[in-house]
Amino acid sequence: MLKTSASFVLGSSKSSTYPRGYASGFDSPAALLNRRFEHPALWKALMLLLMTVLSQSWSPVFAQTDIQTKTPLAPPQDVRVFDTPSDGGDSLTVIWAPAPYDSAAVRYQVLLSEGTSVADPATMKVVAEFPANQRYVRESKWPWWTRPATGDQHQYTLRSGRGVELKSGTLYSITVATVLNDERSIAAPGQAAPEPNWINWNQMNNLLLALLFGGIVFYAIGTARKREIFLRRIPGLDAVDEAIGRATELGKPILYMTGAHDMSDPSTIAAAVILGRVAKRAAAYETDLLVPHREPITMAVCQEITKQAYLEAGKPDLYKDDSNFFITSDQFSYTAAVDGIMLRKKPAANFFMGHYFAEALLLTETGASTGAIQIAGTDSDHQLPFFVTTCDYTLIGEELYAASAYLSREPVQVGTLRGQDIGKALILGVLGIGTILATLGILFDAQWPKLFLDFFRDVK
Amino acid sequence: MTFAERMLKIDRRIIFLVIGLCTLIPLLYPVGLPIKISPEVRGVYDHIESLPEGSVFLLSLDFDPASKPELMPQSISLLRHAFRKKLRVIALTLWVSGTGMADQVVTQVAREMGKESGKDYVFLGWSPGGTAVIINMGQDLYGAFPADYNGKPTKGLSVLQGVASLRDVNYAVSLGAGNPGVEAWYVFGKDKYKFELGGGCTGVMAPGLYPLLRSGQINGLIGGLRGAAEYEILIDQKGKAVAGMDAQSATHLAIIVLVVLCNLFYFASRNIARRQSQSGA
Amino acid sequence: MIFLRRQGPLLVTLITGLVFAAQYYVPHPASEQMLTSVTKWLQIIGGFALVLGVSSLFHVHAAKIRRKEAGWGYSFVLYVGMLGTIALGFWSNGKEAIDGTMTAFGWIYNYMMVPLQGTMFAILAFFIASAAYRSFRARSREAAVLLIAAVIVMMGRVPLGEYLIPISGDLSQWILNVLNASVRRAILIGVSLGTVALSIKIIFGMERSYLGGGKE
Repeated sequence: MLKTSASFVLGSSKSSTYPRGYASGFDSPAALLNRRFEHPALWKALMLLLMTVLSQSWSPVFAQTDIQTKTPLAPPQDVRVFDTPSDGGDSLTVIWAPAPYDSAAVRYQVLLSEGTSVADPATMKVVAEFPANQRYVRESKWPWWTRPATGDQHQYTLRSGRGVELKSGTLYSITVATVLNDERSIAAPGQAAPEPNWINWNQMNNLLLALLFGGIVFYAIGTARKREIFLRRIPGLDAVDEAIGRATELGKPILYMTGAHDMSDPSTIAAAVILGRVAKRAAAYETDLLVPHREPITMAVCQEITKQAYLEAGKPDLYKDDSNFFITSDQFSYTAAVDGIMLRKKPAANFFMGHYFAEALLLTETGASTGAIQIAGTDSDHQLPFFVTTCDYTLIGEELYAASAYLSREPVQVGTLRGQDIGKALILGVLGIGTILATLGILFDAQWPKLFLDFFRDVK
Repeated sequence: MTFAERMLKIDRRIIFLVIGLCTLIPLLYPVGLPIKISPEVRGVYDHIESLPEGSVFLLSLDFDPASKPELMPQSISLLRHAFRKKLRVIALTLWVSGTGMADQVVTQVAREMGKESGKDYVFLGWSPGGTAVIINMGQDLYGAFPADYNGKPTKGLSVLQGVASLRDVNYAVSLGAGNPGVEAWYVFGKDKYKFELGGGCTGVMAPGLYPLLRSGQINGLIGGLRGAAEYEILIDQKGKAVAGMDAQSATHLAIIVLVVLCNLFYFASRNIARRQSQSGA
Repeated sequence: MIFLRRQGPLLVTLITGLVFAAQYYVPHPASEQMLTSVTKWLQIIGGFALVLGVSSLFHVHAAKIRRKEAGWGYSFVLYVGMLGTIALGFWSNGKEAIDGTMTAFGWIYNYMMVPLQGTMFAILAFFIASAAYRSFRARSREAAVLLIAAVIVMMGRVPLGEYLIPISGDLSQWILNVLNASVRRAILIGVSLGTVALSIKIIFGMERSYLGGGKE
């Protein structure tokens, strides 16, 4: 059906009531052929134009064919070999100028040999080969402040490993060859020795940002010491007292978990800090506290924290060493044991602080079935939906870290929180500016926003 | 109590029964619905396809028996693919409770593909330290694992010829059920020792690893049983994952129906309560 | 004594915190070597810490058996299971199989640990269903949006869903790749800033409650 319609358009163009080419906006081939005989001069002009355009647009192809068939291949120009800066002394970098024949059809080879004297570069070992339109400085991970050449230059970093061994302090000869079919053209080799460096300048952005953030935190702490800073309500923490009160009323224990990670993880440290506050209240109300652990060192630290909390509450005689106990480091064996404790002892309040994995729902759903009031605080974002669904209150992400500030209201803690907020505002600002610039670049097909975006990318 | 309110407080054992039946029946009577391949699973497959013969492929089976149903089919498919491509396979685990299982799967697939331990593959077993093992392997593989799981010295094994550390690995895939897993292999492995990394994980963890995938920190992700089924189809060797997809389909549908029902009952009970309060007023 | 309990640990934290923060910026092999050595120390300390945990476990359950507390029989089972597995583990040289033959330790691993752990993980599917039925209600507009997104993703992740609603696959991919990844990044940024701030406080001794609470 479609085919019939098309041929109808072609055939009827002359007799149509519409001007020629109206239907599609372009002249149909049939119409062009008809006009060729009506206006020979026009046809000649058109052919001339077509040939000119073709000769322009296909010239690189012709040129390439020319490279492929006639002219001898030129070796890579301006080859520079040097020790890769900011590394551990196990790599060398070679840089060379782009060539007019750079294309997927032509290939570059990187050649290596130990020592300074190379009798015949053709005998050097080929350690890498890739199409000539790849491996530019702009594609490398070097930020602009450590780039050894302009972005349009070719670069290859040769690292120790995968069949290549570069010994620190040993001199190597490296060069680059251009390859097309069976033909190979090799540049004069350059020499360099890999040396280890003491500073990684590529990561200075990271250090600067860390120092900047640290400075902001210290500044915010200083401000918090001078004046009071507003803290928004965190309902989960307001409910801590309510949960402990309820456990006291019912005469049932409180169950507190510090998560799956060890003491090197900030979420476990935050959980241990909150345990101190909970233990203090539990001691004041003379309510039993159970803290099952997955990690022995965390258990030892939490024992100290609990003991100190009972001491501060003025009830050292009520403290039991057994309130913190180790179960196992195995995920599901621990879960089964804690579920058993929940079902047998029926604690009135369950606290899930720290980092959790798949055991999260198994713990909280069992806790919910016993009717306990449940408060969770976690930075494990993948388990958040389960906590939100099954717990009465959930501290999300950094709220866990904010908890100690909220509970203590100490200037150091509150100031740190303010510092974090300033940091977030800065990141948000940069994100906003970046988004606007990227959008403008696409809308106006402009290159200048890319300069800023590259800057952001390097500084990040 | 109205019918809707009664239904909202239904005994959860009835829900358990529904889910149990929805899992069991499709396993007994499979339908075999078509499975579409996702780009994240194809990312891992394509990279292995692109590796030349003899390349070094490291597979870290970072899971315990609990995650066996999801991660074991992933391990089998990846090993089959790697052996078929004649890659040199280095397998290990960072989870002590997964050692025996990892040994079984590697040995079983190697035997099936006619591969020889020490020549075509090596199972290094487990070493204590979690993420520290990755750092140690990045410095010196033979220092981290002086002997393989069977006690054979790793130095001199033909499969490890030219492999001194993680820098010599062409492609690594971590099948992780938690920590240490995919993230640890990125932070302590790929970022420091510059090798390409892919990931596999349980279904519940997959959404959490998408930021790593989007930022190119991992070049592919096999998520849960679905991901394993896709990989089985890609290597054209259907196994337990494809068989389990019907059961997963049925349970997903059952949960959707349950959620819809609970919302219907919730709105019905809310309307009744509202009407009663209006008539009371 | 107070120095060993307070100033000593704080000093160790300050020095090691600064040294290892700096280590990240030093690519020299000596710095890498230092990191490797310290990770080995951590492994050794971790090994000794296990003794601490196991002794706590023995102590708690011995007390339960001695006092004949409710469920003391389970504590007895724990003793038998633990000591029995350790003995068989030594006997089998810690191997589940030797030359393809299953050892007694392997039997425990394959026929007790594997099915028991598998069962625990499988319970998750049942709990997800019951938790969803109990709590996944469109109480507000936000909850309704969450509900719709969840249904689309659940449909899109299984062949049956894609068969019934073909667009659900692409939609769920989009939700996971765009919405989910963006929100997670936002949470991660917050968490990372919190982590850095907490680390700064710990390194400089402003946060010391993890040492046993209380202010100096």
